[in-house]
Amino acid sequence: MTPSLPPSLWSRRDLLRRCGGGAGLIGLATLLRDERLLGSTPALNPLAARPPQHVGKARSVIWLFMNGGPSQVDTWDYKPELARRDGQELEGFDKNTGFFTGNVGPLMKSPFQWAQHGQSGAWVSELFPHLSRHVDRMAFLHSCYTESNNHSPALFMMNTGVPRMGFPCVGSWATYGLGSESRDLPAFVVMSDPLDRGLPKGHALNWSSGFLPGVYQGTHLRPKGRAIDNLDLPPGLDPATQRRQLDLMARLGGRHREFDPADQALAARLESFELAYRMQMAAPEALDWQGEPESIRRLYGTDDKPCDQFARQCLTARRLVERGVRFVQIYSGGMDNERSWDGHENIVRNHSGFAAETDRPIAALLTDLEQRGLLDETLVIWGGEFGRLPIVQKGGTGRDHNPHAFTVWMAGGGTKPGVHHGATDEVGFKAVQDRVSVHDFHATLLHLLGFDHEKLTFRYSGRDFRLTDVSGDVVRSVVDG
Amino acid sequence: MVFTRCLVHGSSIAQMIRPIATAITLAALSPSVLTGAEPPSPPSRSGLHATNHWAFQPLHATPPPSMPGARTPVDAFILSRLQAEGLSPSPQSTPEILLRRAALILTGLPPSPQALQAVVEDPSPAAFQNAVEGLLASPAYGERWARHWLDAARFAESSGFEHDYDRPNAWPYRDYVVHAFNTDQPYLDFVRWQIAGDEVAPEDPWALMATGFLGSGVFPTQITANEVERFRYDALDDMANTTSAAFLGLSVGCARCHDHKTDPIASKDYYRLISTFATTVRSHMDLDLEPEENQRREQDWAAGHARTEAALAAFEREVLPRRFSEWMSAGAPIMATDWLTLDNAHVESTGGATMTLQADGSVTATGKNPEFDRYRIGVRTPLHGIRALRVEALADPSLTRGGPGRADNGNFALSDLRLLQRPAGSSNEPTPVRFGTPTATFEQKGLPVAAAIDSDAKSGWAIDPEFGKDHAAMFPIESSLGGPDGTELTVELRFDTNHRHSIGRLRVSVTTNASPQLRGPTASARDLAAVEAARTTPSSRRTEAQWTALRTWHRKHDPEWRRHVAAVEASTQAKPKPRVTTVMVTTEGLTPLRMHTQGADFFEQTHFLRRGDPNLKGDTVSQGFLPVLMKRPETHWQRPRLEGARTSNRRRALADWMTDPENGAGHLLARVAVNRIWSLHFGQGIVSTPNDFGLQGALPTHPELLDWLAGEFLRSGGSMKALHRLLISSAIWQQDSRPGSNPAATRAMGLDPEDRLLWHFPKHRLEAEAIRDALLSASGGLDARMGGPGTLDEQQRRRSLYFMVKRSQLSPMLQLFDAPDAVLSVGNRPATITAPQALLFLNSPFLRARCDDLADLLAVEASTSLERAVDTGYRRILGRAPSDGERQDSLEFLRLGLESRRDLPRETALQKALADFGQVLFGLSEFLTIQ
Repeated sequence: MTPSLPPSLWSRRDLLRRCGGGAGLIGLATLLRDERLLGSTPALNPLAARPPQHVGKARSVIWLFMNGGPSQVDTWDYKPELARRDGQELEGFDKNTGFFTGNVGPLMKSPFQWAQHGQSGAWVSELFPHLSRHVDRMAFLHSCYTESNNHSPALFMMNTGVPRMGFPCVGSWATYGLGSESRDLPAFVVMSDPLDRGLPKGHALNWSSGFLPGVYQGTHLRPKGRAIDNLDLPPGLDPATQRRQLDLMARLGGRHREFDPADQALAARLESFELAYRMQMAAPEALDWQGEPESIRRLYGTDDKPCDQFARQCLTARRLVERGVRFVQIYSGGMDNERSWDGHENIVRNHSGFAAETDRPIAALLTDLEQRGLLDETLVIWGGEFGRLPIVQKGGTGRDHNPHAFTVWMAGGGTKPGVHHGATDEVGFKAVQDRVSVHDFHATLLHLLGFDHEKLTFRYSGRDFRLTDVSGDVVRSVVDG
Repeated sequence: MVFTRCLVHGSSIAQMIRPIATAITLAALSPSVLTGAEPPSPPSRSGLHATNHWAFQPLHATPPPSMPGARTPVDAFILSRLQAEGLSPSPQSTPEILLRRAALILTGLPPSPQALQAVVEDPSPAAFQNAVEGLLASPAYGERWARHWLDAARFAESSGFEHDYDRPNAWPYRDYVVHAFNTDQPYLDFVRWQIAGDEVAPEDPWALMATGFLGSGVFPTQITANEVERFRYDALDDMANTTSAAFLGLSVGCARCHDHKTDPIASKDYYRLISTFATTVRSHMDLDLEPEENQRREQDWAAGHARTEAALAAFEREVLPRRFSEWMSAGAPIMATDWLTLDNAHVESTGGATMTLQADGSVTATGKNPEFDRYRIGVRTPLHGIRALRVEALADPSLTRGGPGRADNGNFALSDLRLLQRPAGSSNEPTPVRFGTPTATFEQKGLPVAAAIDSDAKSGWAIDPEFGKDHAAMFPIESSLGGPDGTELTVELRFDTNHRHSIGRLRVSVTTNASPQLRGPTASARDLAAVEAARTTPSSRRTEAQWTALRTWHRKHDPEWRRHVAAVEASTQAKPKPRVTTVMVTTEGLTPLRMHTQGADFFEQTHFLRRGDPNLKGDTVSQGFLPVLMKRPETHWQRPRLEGARTSNRRRALADWMTDPENGAGHLLARVAVNRIWSLHFGQGIVSTPNDFGLQGALPTHPELLDWLAGEFLRSGGSMKALHRLLISSAIWQQDSRPGSNPAATRAMGLDPEDRLLWHFPKHRLEAEAIRDALLSASGGLDARMGGPGTLDEQQRRRSLYFMVKRSQLSPMLQLFDAPDAVLSVGNRPATITAPQALLFLNSPFLRARCDDLADLLAVEASTSLERAVDTGYRRILGRAPSDGERQDSLEFLRLGLESRRDLPRETALQKALADFGQVLFGLSEFLTIQ
């Protein structure tokens, strides 16, 4: 048949296509396919863990999404020339680059102090006193660029590879390819702002499975109250009765199976109930960060303002990947201007606030993962949907959107520590050297998970879609080995 | 990075794997090849040469094979193929199972207990056929099939992207689709209306509602200056792609960046096709969606109105002359006049407006409209004992919005009213008059009539928003005015509240009636003088004019006549206005619905874009279609824009080409339509990719059958109900769904495990909406009200079709069962089995509430015996009686449930145990499956 793909992936594509083709049930298709052709892969669960195409070091991903677009020239991309040219016009600037086309001001130096850190001597602004101690663990992509200067399309681009609605996001692709290593937990989990600042623009479409089956959609943990639907017994039902219900279901199912021995969906349905029954116990346990020792909680800052909320989310993320969850995404900041990293008016106030919320928890996450030996197999990503302009947004001391340059860093999961890839121009306006497109970034991410981005495809509406569309090159310099 | 906007397989096609689903088709050529597929021929750079692809060919008129014993032509095709493989069909299912199958497929609801009872008692084919007719005639049929179509139409009621603004007027499209299915609208009209309803049937509100199809797609709510063009091309792409995928089963979007890799669609043809929609925009229209109701209400009114008018006429004819004679015999006493206009007054405007006396005693102000004006009226009247003053501000067509004020919006503001008086002939200084509490016909919020007699120049009386109507205010006078010779009055009206807010047409009246009506009868001083003269003239010397004056005066003051006239006036006022609904349409030449867009809403010209990039514009293009589906040049379907027409006729041309089976794409359109319907009956299409009939799509398992059905479909005038009847009447449709029931099961399972040849009826899982609707229906809680705006309330009990489809707030329960996200056209949904679904069945309060509803129903049966409760539960939820074993298991469960709740009152314990039991039945695979 097809030599280029291992059989496990081959059968997944096939069975999914057949489900899409209306033949019926994933469980049924999997059973038939696996019994006939494969034999070994766990049968019933479309989220069953599967080997990747090649050996990737990353087993799971924690993506810290700095929603709103952090400014590269105020965080990780040091530009002394920008300070020298402070107040000068940026020549040849197209006023349509940013969002507020009528508010174009002159170049503005970074208002933050910078210093070099670690053995690699990486320049980091004063925004990150904790993270700056980890620069030797990070692989920096300084030359990222994207296609839209507007939040929602840029978020879709970063999450799905297309600046439009309706396409599968990275987390869905990853779980489609690899399944989940947890039998009792969702494979792909998303956390959003718990401080009433809303969801990222585009809402749930940012963790949608698009045309992939809905099972690969991100599970959004409700930021307040019960995190997952239907985990608690409904009024009027007690645990013993529920167990008896499951037993009767199995008994009646068994009788029906005598009536129709070939009904494979029945077995899959019964199995799904047993799995759900276990999830009722497993999910609350996994989300219970309060069960962590005092020292760990202090490390993250789960009880210290202003980082307590993000600290709890980072700690939860660690607990989840530890239990086999494949993909976790945490959004810093919400939907409205200045309630995310979208510092149009005052870059000092805005970025200082969000850095103070996130710096210590993320640093703690890296330390904690490392201590547990999990960093090697957990890819940690920090970045936003675009960068910000080196010029001031007239009327304030903030910066407008910039699709031409932004910095993303990765750590762990098979990345090469302490490297810097690519560069922007001397004022940090545009990526000029070793440019990294969003497709390149996605190709690299998939590579670290063990996939050839050109081969992880899904047939929909007559086309073989992939996360990276028709382009994308793995950024080799940040891959270890 | 220009290629990134185009979603094509590109290099990944080299690794493309031929789907196994086509294996069975290859088996048609070589029966031995059933488990493996040959790789496709090496891909070429473009698919332009692939014009010989089966789907582009005319329909093959293959007659059904001669198969003795075949019940229908459909059976003949299927059986002949089974026979060729050495297979045979499965036996017929039981009437109960067939009824449940038909009810779920046709209406998305389980059969009613009564219908079930009927087929159990009369298992004849005729009884089943009757039941099917009942299902097809049920409004629930349209609701079920509309939901299927809305998948293909990527229907939603919000914009998507950053704000996901609601489209509160988008639901009429959904109601149109329900209506189209329920009325069995001919399919070609169904197509034409959705593409160009505003052009082909502009007078029909349903056709205008149908245009919601094109406008249902996502659209950014915030568009920066350098994205305006790109997003407009995205919108054109959405309309063209959805149209093409939904109706023709072709994706044209690939050709946005370059010639299609596999299908014969050139990039230039793509741009010519999307130019069809260049000037097409979302807009709003007010439509009469209830013409019959509106007509009925107007007719009801007209009948009542005619009766009122007839009563007046009869009174005037039969009663009034007698009453006039009696009045004359009594010496024609002058009855109390409510209001006497000051029509012999001198009126001036201090601000310089031109004041002109009108025939009705009013005065119009024209010419100069000063910032702040004052009107002064001086008059001598024979009346004495005046008890009230009335100021009328009258509507007039010469004023803005009909007035009655001179302000830009038709308003006025009377800041102060002053009245001075002295007895006629007196030389004393006139004295100011104090008013009692005034009343008015209408008072603007914050500007009441009382403010016209306070001493505050900035407060006053105004009437926004009741423009274009007559208004009046009445100012009672505590002490009666005047002397025996009459009264001299000076009235001053001040307009100091707001700039240019004086009254445009004014009439001032007084009355001696101590309790006058604001809108009581009005006479002029001249009328009074005339009737006085006529009255005192001896009857023999009265002129005709004097008789008329007397009759008019009498009539006007006859309370009976006034009652009749008031009834006619009230009836006229009560004439119902037709109720209209604001509907989102997709059309041309109306104001587009606008977003936060830093630029134009659309562009007249469509350009060829190199590599899909609006920055790489080529020549402008003119409308064209897909050459592979054209036997004639596009001019065959195009017609010129009509002189003065609002729309371009381009969409009409597209629809005409698409629905032309002879020369256009109609043959492919018919194939795609019948395949959709087939796939929704059998859970799998003859072509297993309903949205893709191109070279990447699956090949048909039964190509001759598909073409025969498409031909029949066109010959039947595109009747979907006829197609349902045909399919359901076939032996193939009525087969058992258990593979084990087939006499050659082992061999069949080996050859065709996926049942593509239909050797048994393929079980398939219900869709999300049908699951939720079945839960509500089986537990007796379904609210069957149809149509109108939807809701986001998860607890609502109408059918799931009536959830508002808000893209950022899709129903969690429906999403759990694979409902689409309404962004792209969907041809068939996945049918997953997942743990979160099971969690819903275990713990969802909504589901448990349905179980409680069900328990209430079952408790009635349980009062007779628990067995009856178990049987009823089985029938309501699974559409059949339990087997003995199932009954025993269930009874044991109920007994244990009662026992574990010994401490509760028996009635409560029973209710809970029955709810527990219902929850188990709902969780069974069988409940979720069309068997």
